[in-house]
Amino acid sequence: MKYQVIHVTEYKYEVPATLCHNLMFQIPKDHPFQQVKDYSCEIVPKPSFEVNRTDFFGNNYLYFSVERLHRKLTVASKSVLELSEPAWISVDPKSTLPWEKVAKWLHSTDASSEIRQYYLESDHVPFISGIRDYAVKSFTENRPIMEAMLDLNTRIFRDFAFTPGFTDISTPLQKVFEHKKGVCQDFAHFSLACLRILGLAGRYVSGYIETLPPPGKPKLVGSDASHAWIAVYIPGHDWVEFDATNNLLVNDKHIRVAVGRDFADVTPLKGIVYSGSEQEMKVSVDVQSMEEEMTAEE
Amino acid sequence: MIESYLIEKMFNNAPFLDEMATDQGKIQPHWERLARYYEQIGKERLGQFHDEVGRQLRENGVTYNVYGDPNGMNRPWILDPVPMVFNSEEWEAIEKGLVQRTNLLNLILSDLYGSQTLIKEGLIPFELVYNHKGFLRQAHNVKLDGDQQLIQYSSDLARGPDGKMWVLHDRTDAPSGSGYTFENRAAMTRVFPDLIRENHVRKITSYYQTFKNTLSNLTKNNKENPRVVLLSPGPTNETFFEHAYISSFMGFTLAFGEDLTVSDGYVWLKTIKGLEKVDVIIRRVDDVFCDPLEFRNDSHLGVVGLMEAVRQRKVLVINPLGSRVLENPGLMAFLPKLSKHLLGEDLAIPSVATWWCGQPSEMTYVFERMESLVIRNIYRGTNHKSVFGGDLSKAELENLKREIRRSPFLYVGQEMVEFSTTPSWINGKLEARNAVFRSYVVADSENKDYTVMPGGLSRSSSEQGAFLVSNQTGGISKDTWVLGKLKEPGASPIKPVRIQPLVHNVLPSRTGERLFWLGRYLERSAYTVRLMRMTLLSYNEADEDIHIQENPVLNTLLQTLTTMTCTFPGFTEKDILKNPEPELLALVHDIKKSGSLAFSVQSFLANAYAVRDRLSLDTWRILDSISEELTRMRKSVTTLTQAYHSLDNMVVKLMAFYGLNLDNMTREPTWHLLNIGRFIESAVNNCTILRGMLSKHFDPESNKELMEDTLRCNESLVTYRYRYRSNLEMNGVLSLLMLHEDNPRSLIFQLLEIDHHLKALPVNNEAELFSIERKKLLEAITKIRLCDIDKLSAADTESHEFTALTSFLDEIIELLQDTSDVVYEKYFSHTGSSYRMMQTSVIPEI
Repeated sequence: MKYQVIHVTEYKYEVPATLCHNLMFQIPKDHPFQQVKDYSCEIVPKPSFEVNRTDFFGNNYLYFSVERLHRKLTVASKSVLELSEPAWISVDPKSTLPWEKVAKWLHSTDASSEIRQYYLESDHVPFISGIRDYAVKSFTENRPIMEAMLDLNTRIFRDFAFTPGFTDISTPLQKVFEHKKGVCQDFAHFSLACLRILGLAGRYVSGYIETLPPPGKPKLVGSDASHAWIAVYIPGHDWVEFDATNNLLVNDKHIRVAVGRDFADVTPLKGIVYSGSEQEMKVSVDVQSMEEEMTAEE
Repeated sequence: MIESYLIEKMFNNAPFLDEMATDQGKIQPHWERLARYYEQIGKERLGQFHDEVGRQLRENGVTYNVYGDPNGMNRPWILDPVPMVFNSEEWEAIEKGLVQRTNLLNLILSDLYGSQTLIKEGLIPFELVYNHKGFLRQAHNVKLDGDQQLIQYSSDLARGPDGKMWVLHDRTDAPSGSGYTFENRAAMTRVFPDLIRENHVRKITSYYQTFKNTLSNLTKNNKENPRVVLLSPGPTNETFFEHAYISSFMGFTLAFGEDLTVSDGYVWLKTIKGLEKVDVIIRRVDDVFCDPLEFRNDSHLGVVGLMEAVRQRKVLVINPLGSRVLENPGLMAFLPKLSKHLLGEDLAIPSVATWWCGQPSEMTYVFERMESLVIRNIYRGTNHKSVFGGDLSKAELENLKREIRRSPFLYVGQEMVEFSTTPSWINGKLEARNAVFRSYVVADSENKDYTVMPGGLSRSSSEQGAFLVSNQTGGISKDTWVLGKLKEPGASPIKPVRIQPLVHNVLPSRTGERLFWLGRYLERSAYTVRLMRMTLLSYNEADEDIHIQENPVLNTLLQTLTTMTCTFPGFTEKDILKNPEPELLALVHDIKKSGSLAFSVQSFLANAYAVRDRLSLDTWRILDSISEELTRMRKSVTTLTQAYHSLDNMVVKLMAFYGLNLDNMTREPTWHLLNIGRFIESAVNNCTILRGMLSKHFDPESNKELMEDTLRCNESLVTYRYRYRSNLEMNGVLSLLMLHEDNPRSLIFQLLEIDHHLKALPVNNEAELFSIERKKLLEAITKIRLCDIDKLSAADTESHEFTALTSFLDEIIELLQDTSDVVYEKYFSHTGSSYRMMQTSVIPEI
């Protein structure tokens, strides 16, 4: 599948801001089943200083500062990507290693720190009480890890209600667990907590997914959103991705942007602004499938 | 005195060793001179010396802030007149051990933020590092030039029952205390000069010389004279005293987060002249508070964008961000092996025995012996207090075990070292107290080595047998003496220092603002005292049974007092006028009442404290006595008579502060801003008093009395009599207080002074020949010079009030306010740089 993604963030200030410093995690990179064909970013007003860097987790990010009076800041990222079917789609879940074996291997120095770092607690993925009991219902004794994970994925999908507005960035995971409500970010964090309490490595993936309009209705521009799901390390198959929000083993419709321990590591745009006034923020994401165009060209 | 100490030691079965006394009740050879000296001078003299040491420190303004204690601000620093003593042989071993440990920690630090070979090879457990909040992923692969990443290192050492020294804690983030060490030594040298000489106590100054040279070397390629700032969390930080002390001592600029800004990838200091590039930041702000963009976004102590500036190699931060990962008691369990592996040597100074719970067998061991161990989190923070297992109830122990089982990586069990005692001067006699010694190590980049300060900060517990030795809990500090001359006669000669002191030509805007307010509160306090004195005199003379409203003089004084101090409704309220004493007393001593004398003096002191690096030592003596007077005023003034005496004392001390600065402050922006504040405040108060006292028409006798009080308030009555040799006339009084350029109490004199100091400030904009603030002032000056004094002295024919005078003074007050606003905007506007987090994207909603 080929996609074009346009991600626009806009800040408005009543009293002009004098200075802002920002970190932007919106630059996708190549993955085994994802190729970045094109990426560009437009920032208005033009940053006084900017630099591209790679973070500790291997993500590309942009640091920039705007050092002049501004009432409005717009950051627009545009990417074109090509996705292919991941190899894990054709893996028989029963053929994967029992999860206890994976956990044991992870805790030895045979596994690299790059992988091991993802079985530790993190700020948004705390080991809340009751989480182990929830997890072991899927991760039963000697169950192959992929099979167990698919089961967990489905249970979260069934047990939790997708409820926009119930949570925000600061909602503790405990509350999500108690009320069984939230959005993709909460489900991702919850899945990760289940994995990590068992000593398994799971990482947070931020990205995009195309939303389809109700049948017969035209698709609205900007109606898509950024999305989040997780990846589990399965020896022999590398990082395998699961989307609890949609009860899916990720295929060729998920566009990956960045990975980290949790949301805080890969916040799409964060910043500090020198301004006394209130701010207004607007985000729009547009994911366009480019299959049609290609067929037309052919 | 010594005899009884030795006997006490022999028969007291305490398990601790003593630094001075052997178990057989003999004196250790290196303590002999000291013991003989104490015996010779006796208890009484030693007690006097103790007081003398305390006085020295207090007068130098040495303080220590204690968090969470209402009286904790600026608590005096306590120094024991009895030092901690090391002989030269033992010191040599300690020195060697500390250099080895610093080298080892430096290698570990480089590895953790680089290739992480030690983790890959299993020499350091992965969880011990990746679970430690001091491991900053943002600092990965960010290095200083050269092999030395750890520039400053400190550790707490204590002597165990086996006579060996043990390391209790490593401090690698922003070690504190070296400034206090210098002050302790200075006080001891003044009180015991002979004793220090006879004992051949080694000097500690080389420490800072090495530090300066190292800084200079690190920035050598960039600059001959790097601009160095010391980043402090601010005056409420517990060790703020030493931040200011070290800054002025080393020639660094003292800066708070709000003084710095990142632009174009560089760090800049906001000064009253504009932005100045910063090359080195010595930080006393904890790691994660240093940059709200990349670390804790709720921090207001840091500099936004600092981490990126470090990556750009545009600024050096010392110690480097990320060094705190070494402040990790869990690491102690692995140091012996690491020492063998990395240095090929045994670890010379052992750490206190440590079991890291991240390993199953160690966790079991800790659980079995929990009652005799100290349980610590691997990360030292306010949420992570260490606990002694023996102090816990059964239930608490179980809880703790559950906690540990949940996150075993985060905990260690450590043996409780029963550390040795030293004689301490407690309540008039020598008593044995457990003591800990903090050492200071600094990189010597010239020789690619580390240097240990021959001395340090020792602290002893305030109670017998207590091991909690911390300044926060009332510990007592001790100077540390290393005896004996330098070992090799050819020790490296001290190199000339390359860093030039830059304090004097750089004035951060925030410091400028504080100086401005220092001047304003100084005058506000002084004017409050003067008007208050007149009011109290008049109140005491008034008949007891008369209503104040029928006493025009007293009533006018009271109304003016309310206006000048901005304490409305105050005496404009009838009920308060009926019984004015409580309000009068509150205006003197109620520190919570904005506008009261106590409030103004307190604000004066707070501003002085914030700019303490700019004020001379003698100034601190005066500030100390003002602070004492304030305490006395707050605690013991209960009657108006007492208040009156207190006012007299206060005004003399306030003026002494000014006089001393007049005498010894160099005439640079510091001085000018202090005076701009001072004269703006004087001029405004002058106008307010004239307006309040002379604008109403009463019987001639009352008007005369009010004129007399107005002159007295301005200490100009004598001048008036001398000049006019006549009765008090309105036009004479106004001339003297407004127009006479040679009278320092006149409005014109005050305005000209403001102009003089404004003129001397650095110009930001060369094109601006005559600045807006000076134009405003010129308008006021001209108005006064051109005014018709007879017209102003005349009452309105209809209302009989002095309306011309009132509106004239109102105009002047407004112009002064404008001037003040423009000055503020121009020189201090940088300081109002509040920032906030930008909202992060709405969470993904799919």
